[in-house]
Amino acid sequence: MPDFSPTQYAVPLFVVAVLAEMIWARLKRPEAYEPKDTLVSLAFGLGSTVAGALLGGFALYVFIEAHEYRVFDFGEQWWAVWWAWPLCFVLDDLKYYWVHRAGHRIRWMWASHVNHHSSQHYNLSTALRQSWTGAFTFGFLFALPLVLLGFHPAMIAICAGFNLVYQFWIHTEAIGRMPRWFEAVMNTPSHHRVHHATNPRYLDRNYAGVFIVWDRMFGTFEPERDDEPIRYGIVRQLGSFNLLWAVFHEWIGMIGDIWRAPWKHKLSYLLREPGWSHDGSRETSDMIRDRWLARTGRIGQGVTSGRPVANRNPIAERGEAA
Amino acid sequence: MDVPPLLIQTLGSLVAILVLAGLAALLKLGGAPRLAGEADVRRAAAEVSDGFEAVECAAARDGSAALACDAAGQNMLIKRHGNRFAGRILTAQASARLHGDALEVDCGERRFGTVLLELDDPAFWIAKIDAIGRT
Repeated sequence: MPDFSPTQYAVPLFVVAVLAEMIWARLKRPEAYEPKDTLVSLAFGLGSTVAGALLGGFALYVFIEAHEYRVFDFGEQWWAVWWAWPLCFVLDDLKYYWVHRAGHRIRWMWASHVNHHSSQHYNLSTALRQSWTGAFTFGFLFALPLVLLGFHPAMIAICAGFNLVYQFWIHTEAIGRMPRWFEAVMNTPSHHRVHHATNPRYLDRNYAGVFIVWDRMFGTFEPERDDEPIRYGIVRQLGSFNLLWAVFHEWIGMIGDIWRAPWKHKLSYLLREPGWSHDGSRETSDMIRDRWLARTGRIGQGVTSGRPVANRNPIAERGEAA
Repeated sequence: MDVPPLLIQTLGSLVAILVLAGLAALLKLGGAPRLAGEADVRRAAAEVSDGFEAVECAAARDGSAALACDAAGQNMLIKRHGNRFAGRILTAQASARLHGDALEVDCGERRFGTVLLELDDPAFWIAKIDAIGRT
């Protein structure tokens, strides 16, 4: 069985690329970086690696056990079945789309994924701003269908690693648009800038990992507009560079909400969309977008909204910290 | 002595992180944007809360923070955070008091911190913030 981690091999590339982008920023856009923000983002990356090494064993155990019940068997030398690799990569990217979408729509998942969005900057260091608490969500279950289909857990892990490495380079403002054919199929800096935006128009859009076609297919695609500057981060910005607060703030808010909520609403604070509240005192991204549409009179003017969008940004709420 | 590979990797990454963050500072990346006047405050307020239209606002003299209120009576505190701005719509947990010549505003959220603003009419804002939740 191959023992190979694409992300580990890519670390030197990450460092060199961040360095190069910093030099670009020095020359063209000094405001694109902020030293404290960079430090927090990179510390997130380091902590995420450690957390993965310490806590990833459970998911691996589940996958290996589940693989015993696979539908198709690629044989002892599964890694030599060449066509299984691209197939696994594409299916894993489809899985990524849905786990990512769930990461924005289910508060339990958002509590972890919010970490990646909590910077007000969008640069290559933001790409490394990965969660420490993913193991405490159920995101890994989204990979079970692939395991049960017969893809070996190691193959899935390697494909997921390449997926993550691909996503690194799209976290930049240094690249405008890629060639049209590329923008049509692949996730790009332009598409992913939209995903990190807090502008109502852009909330909960472009969940793709590698292939943007999933967003086009499932109705969550929104193109970047040149006439609307993007604001990055989360709707209710942290306003703090405290690393531990940045890591755990949403878990603390969610647990507090569950604790305080009436019994019949407790589960909803765990499983419903971020921003949901039983008394309607907070704003979901649906509400933010609807308010924006009503205010600007854009309803029916071709804006891809009006349909429910994923409600993210629980910390957009007023009142209790979420 | 065998050092666990994870430890070596972690320490190596830690050094790289500190070097990169240090380099960002050395290259003087970031900067400190200022809220120079009402237009800046209005724009920042609308970014903090989409649709917030400030009818009254006051920027601190050093441009690092501001207060704004809208027609609905909502009050907003804005502060510079790194080289961006972050803000809060103030709730009944908020408080304001004079701190020397400056106005000290606490939005009631510990991690957001208290904000010091030197501005022209602090008493006006103290009264507005004290009144939150009473009307």
